[in-house]
This record gives sequence, structure tokens and C-alpha cells, in this order.
Amino acid sequence: MKFIVSSTYLLKQLQVLGGVINNSNTLPILDNFLFDLDNNKLTVSASDLETTMSSVLDVDSDNQGTIAVPARLLLETLKTFPEQPLTFVVEDNNTVEISSNHGKYALAYADGAEFPKAVELANPSSTTLVGDILATAIDKTIFAAGNDDLRPVMSGVFFQFSPENLTFVATDAHKLVKYQRTDVTASQVAEFIMPKKPLTLLKGILAGSESDVIIEYNDSNAKFSFENTELICRLIDGKYPNYEAVIPKENPNVLSIARNQFLSSVKRVAIFSNKTTHQIRLKIAGAELNISAEDIDYSNKAEERLTCSYQGDDMQIGFNSRFLTEMLNNLNSDDVSLEMSLPNRAGILTPIDGLDEGENVTMLVMPVMLNS
Amino acid sequence: MSEERAIVHMDLDTFFVSCERLQDSRLNHKPILIGGTSDRGVVASCSYEARKFGIHSAMPMRMAKQLCPEAIVLRGNAATYSKYSNLVTEVIKDSVPLYEKSSVDEFFIDLTGMDKFFGCHQMAIELRQRIIRETGLPISFGLSTNKTVSKIATGQAKPNNQIRVFKGTEKPFLAPLSVRKIPMVGEVTYKSLCDLGIKKIVTVQQMPMQLMHKVLGKNGLSIWKKANGIDNSPVIQYHERKSISTERTFDKDTTDVKKLKSITIAMAENLAYQLRRGNKLTACITFKIRYSDFQTYTQQQKIPYSSLDSSILPVVLNLFEKLYNRRLLVRLIGVRFSHLVEGGHQINLFEDNEKLIRLSLAIDKMRERYGDRSVISAAGMEAKSISRWNPFSGEPPPLLPNRRR
Repeated sequence: MKFIVSSTYLLKQLQVLGGVINNSNTLPILDNFLFDLDNNKLTVSASDLETTMSSVLDVDSDNQGTIAVPARLLLETLKTFPEQPLTFVVEDNNTVEISSNHGKYALAYADGAEFPKAVELANPSSTTLVGDILATAIDKTIFAAGNDDLRPVMSGVFFQFSPENLTFVATDAHKLVKYQRTDVTASQVAEFIMPKKPLTLLKGILAGSESDVIIEYNDSNAKFSFENTELICRLIDGKYPNYEAVIPKENPNVLSIARNQFLSSVKRVAIFSNKTTHQIRLKIAGAELNISAEDIDYSNKAEERLTCSYQGDDMQIGFNSRFLTEMLNNLNSDDVSLEMSLPNRAGILTPIDGLDEGENVTMLVMPVMLNS
Repeated sequence: MSEERAIVHMDLDTFFVSCERLQDSRLNHKPILIGGTSDRGVVASCSYEARKFGIHSAMPMRMAKQLCPEAIVLRGNAATYSKYSNLVTEVIKDSVPLYEKSSVDEFFIDLTGMDKFFGCHQMAIELRQRIIRETGLPISFGLSTNKTVSKIATGQAKPNNQIRVFKGTEKPFLAPLSVRKIPMVGEVTYKSLCDLGIKKIVTVQQMPMQLMHKVLGKNGLSIWKKANGIDNSPVIQYHERKSISTERTFDKDTTDVKKLKSITIAMAENLAYQLRRGNKLTACITFKIRYSDFQTYTQQQKIPYSSLDSSILPVVLNLFEKLYNRRLLVRLIGVRFSHLVEGGHQINLFEDNEKLIRLSLAIDKMRERYGDRSVISAAGMEAKSISRWNPFSGEPPPLLPNRRR
């Protein structure tokens, strides 16, 4: 088995695939890239058992064969090369020899047959959407997903496809984000929960990409195919909580404010809040928003007043400032609106401007109970 | 702190008895016992007349009554004692720069640097006179360079007197006293010290520090330091509470699961209310159970920060179910919340029910207005005597913890 490939081209692909590999693996074979050569096509795969990603590379060769090459060693070597052709030759003594302009490097490889096979999806349904749209959907939602191992369904992003729209939802039970596209649709209704890790990878690869992504899915797995790459992952098993039911419908108190101004005030005031609970208090009366925080243990205290436009009754509501900053940071509109009903009911944060046609973002944040 | 410190320890003599006598002068010069009157009650306070019979505080009430059948037994009234205690606190607050109220009837006062103006000893004497004059309560004090020596000195001064231990004379002052006088040497430590042949503080003073460390571990080191009159701990005005807890010993050991649960619920409910009133959250719940053979088991569980009954009660009950597994009579159960932080409960989108939250708010409002026990869950109604002091006021608890009605 022998092939010639450009060093930077290979590095670029491997770096993307390397994201799949865990730092510590129970199965040593997972520390490798699988190289599957078929004449001019080299398929490289990486896996952590849950997620498998593979890319097809164009190489110069007339051989076939499969080997598993140590990922870290290979990546570190490739990083140091300037652009040049590299020749990979598999020797008899279980080593693969790489020849560059500078010299020769031999590394031990494992048998490609040991590498776990990627799952084949049985009777999948499929949907196609533009890479950047998927990347945006992930970016808008993933930060709100939880980290609780006890509630695995909330540690992922909920994909809801229908002939009317595509909906992406993430929540950790304290905040919730719903991102909807009405300009993209699916042929049939489908729902599944994607784990965070493959989504983070996809987000990185697909940001700004104009190419189409084909999403195939069944009950247990999903496959994302685009350009020369394929990502197959296991879905999170379980029933996603009924999030629609917890979004309050009647919210008579509406606050509109410049996002940046609101964000920087919250950030500043939050410095003075309790270091564990990060709680701040919003007091809204007339056209004035009063943001305050206090850390009694250290006698720290802050208060800011902002002008805003407000319709509704005067009210006081407490929030974890972290949630507010995360949400405000994630939006990119100039102005936002915060709709509320009662101090113990969710606040609904939505952007007022800056949305694409057919795009819809709803963010929900649960308050903390205030001691008046 | 290179400067020589001046620490005064003030202790109200037979505080509860003195309060009762202020209210009823017929009690003067008579043996008085104050404490729980049930079979398992203990003496919380007793007059000097009663002490002559060999009675001391923390002694089972039954035994005390046998020793002195003619003693007058009172159940005591926490509110009265708190009131008098606050009167004394006011006087002290008014006259000194820094004080620490370490219990209802004990105060540490830091007079360091006051020598320049008044003379520390003179000031302490005047303060004592003023307290006696204004409140009518007898009080003793010890003055020295640190808290331990002052506290021991007060113990020596009592009743109704004062002692000053000059700098440099701490060791000779402590030498002839029993090791039992050192704060933190309780019955168990005293026994193990006795087993080593250590009875007087002077023996500890002569021992090398390493030996004490070897025998009693870390505690040995601090006992050695205290025995040598070394104590650098500062006078701290306000102690932040790191946990709140309540426990209860039954009049009669029981296996009545219904009763146990009922009391558990009442305790957890009350503590959770205290949390909410103090705007605190807990992240760790501990349950404690002691069987009639005095085997004690505890188990704790971490939870997301909360102060709501609906998230705390199930955890407490679950711990109870887990811990109550021996087929034995139960002597004591207790609940403790720790890892406290300032803040309000973060409402959960899916788990918290809006109705329950509104209910909880309404109940708290009623309690605020009509008292702690105006609204309680029916399951917890049987448990009547759960303390209702506010644990976050920075004040020490009003009663000795082992006192029972």
C-alpha cells in the first residue's frame, strides 16, 4: 500500500477529523485514524464509538488497503511541514513510512480491521439544508443545552422537522432556546435529539459553508453528509420534555431595550452579585429599568438605571445574570424585547431586528425567587 | 499582631436562674432547676444553691431531682432569656469597640489599645458594674491577653466576681487547674487524658508538643497550645452560618414510622422556611438517626441549590427511608442543611409547579405575619416543639441545644 498526498491538504482534513477523538479512550484503537485506500480515493475516519466522521481525500495511488495510524503522532508531525508532497509506504514490519523532502519517519500502525465499523442506517428519512443554516441553528441553541448526566435528553439539541418548518430546541430546565426556520422544510415529520459533541464539530466545519448538507436519520442514528465528509452519530435516546407547554402564552409586560446597553449593564452589575448564585434584580417602573445586585457576604453592591420602553405593570423580577449574559451575547440584533407576566414565570427574550427571512428565535429564562 | 492584646470574657452567672429571679423574687436563695421536665430532659441551668447538692448543668433532670427533691423546677422561657440577653448585649455594644456574642450569656470583648484612654481593667470593671446596675443580672469576667485564658479565668472568678490574669502569668495561672477547665476538653477527651495520667494543666505544660500531637492528633496540638496560654483567635463580631440543623430526641424511643416521618417533615419544613426567610439556598442535605443502642448514622445528599419545600422534602424523606433500616428503636432524628449561599430559588421550567410556588409564597407570607406555626403541613403537625429562632440574625441559639421540654 502506497500513496502520495499534499501535506497541508492532509493536515487540514485530519485536524477536522481529530475533533472526534477523545483524549482518553478505553479502546486503544480509537486513538487512531483509519486510512482506507482505494486507488485515488483515501477515506480517513475517526471515531469515539458514539460519533464517527470520515472524509474522502484525493491522493495519488494505484493500491488498496486499510490501516489504522496513531492520530496524535501523525497530526503533530504534519503540523511542522511546509506544503510538500508526502509519500506513505506501508512496510512489512507493521510500520508505515512517510517520506518528505526532509527525511523519513516510520510509525507503527494497527490493522485496519480492528477499527470499529461505522453504523449503517437502516431505512433512513432525509432532509437537505444549506450548511450555514445548520451551523447557525446549532450556534443559536447549543449553549442552552444542559450538562446533567442524570437527565441525558436535556444534554442535547432537539431537532424537530416538519413540512412547515424546522425547529431546533435546547434547554437545561432553567433557560430554553427555540430556533425556527420556516424557509426550510422537511418532507415528513421527524424528531430526534442530537448530542452536543457532533453538533460542536458540525458547527465548526459548516460555519459559512454554502454547500448542501444531507441529513439522514432513523430512530437511533443520524448521518450528516456534505462535500467529501460524512458524520454518523448515535442519537440521545429518550423523550424530550414538552417544551411548548412551558412557554407562557400571555405576557402583558413588555420591555424593549438596546441589546448592547442591556448586556453591558448586566455584566457590570453581575460582578457585584453573589459569586455562587450570580443573582441580579430587575426593577421596572415607567420607562426606567433598574438593575441591581448585592453580595451580602462581602458587602458588595451595585445598581444601574437604564431607560427603556416598557408597557405593563411595574414589576420586580430576579434572574441568574449568567443566563441573561449568555442569551444576550448569543443574539446579534440591535434591540431586544423581554416579555414577562409574573415574577415567578419565565421571561421571554426575543430579538427585535436583525433576523433573516423565515428565521425565528425565542429564548426563555426562568427567574429566581426574590425575597422582597 | 505584635501589640499585647486585652481580651475580656464576660459570662452571666446562672443566667436563666437570674432571669427567673428578676421576674419572681420569691425564687431568691432557693435551689432552682431550669430545664426539660420530661424523663429525658436535662438541666439547662441551676442556681448555686442547687449546685451544693452536686447538681450541674447538662445533668439529666431525673437525677437532679433525686439529688435535691426540694428544688423548684422551671421549664424556662426562651423569649424572656433572649430579651434579657439582648439588654446585656445593648449595654456592651454601647460601651466597647469590638465584642463577640458567643452564646446567650457569654461575651468576648476585645479591649486592645484601650489602655491609652481608660485602662482596660478599669474599663472592664466599670462595664461589669454598669451591666449589674442596668439589668440587675449578676455577671463575672476574666481579663487576659487571649480568649482561652480569659474564659478559664471567668470560670474561676464565678460567682459574681472578676479576675485579671497579667501578661506573662498565664502559665502559672493555668498550671494548678484541672485539664477539664480547658474549653474543648469534654468528657471523652478528659477520660483519655486521665488514662494518660494527665489531670492538671501543669502536666500538659510540661509535656512536649509532639507527644500531645501523637496521642490526640490535631486536637492534642490545640489543647497543648491552650494549656500553655497560647490562643491567637480573634474576637469576631459576626459569625456567618455555614449550616442550619435541627434534631430531636424522643421522650420514648420509638419505631413508629408515621411519627418519625411526621417529625422529619416538620423539621425539614421548618428549616426550609428559615432558609427562605434568610434568603438562603442549600446544596447539601444531611439526615441523622440514632438508635436506642446509641449507634448513630448520617447520610448526606447533594442537590441543586434550593430552598423550596417541594425540592427539599422528597430528598429528606428519601434519606430517611435509606437510613432507617435497622429493626431497632429510634432515639433521635435530625436534619441539617449545609453549603448555604445567599440567594433565591432558581425556578425550574419542568420540575417546579407554578401553583406550588405561589402556594409556598402565600404560606410564607402568612407565617411572616402570624408566626412560624400558623400554617404547617398536616403531616408534620404532631411535632410541636421545633425551635423557631431566626438562624441568620448572627445571634447564637437562645437555648442550650440539649434542652428539651
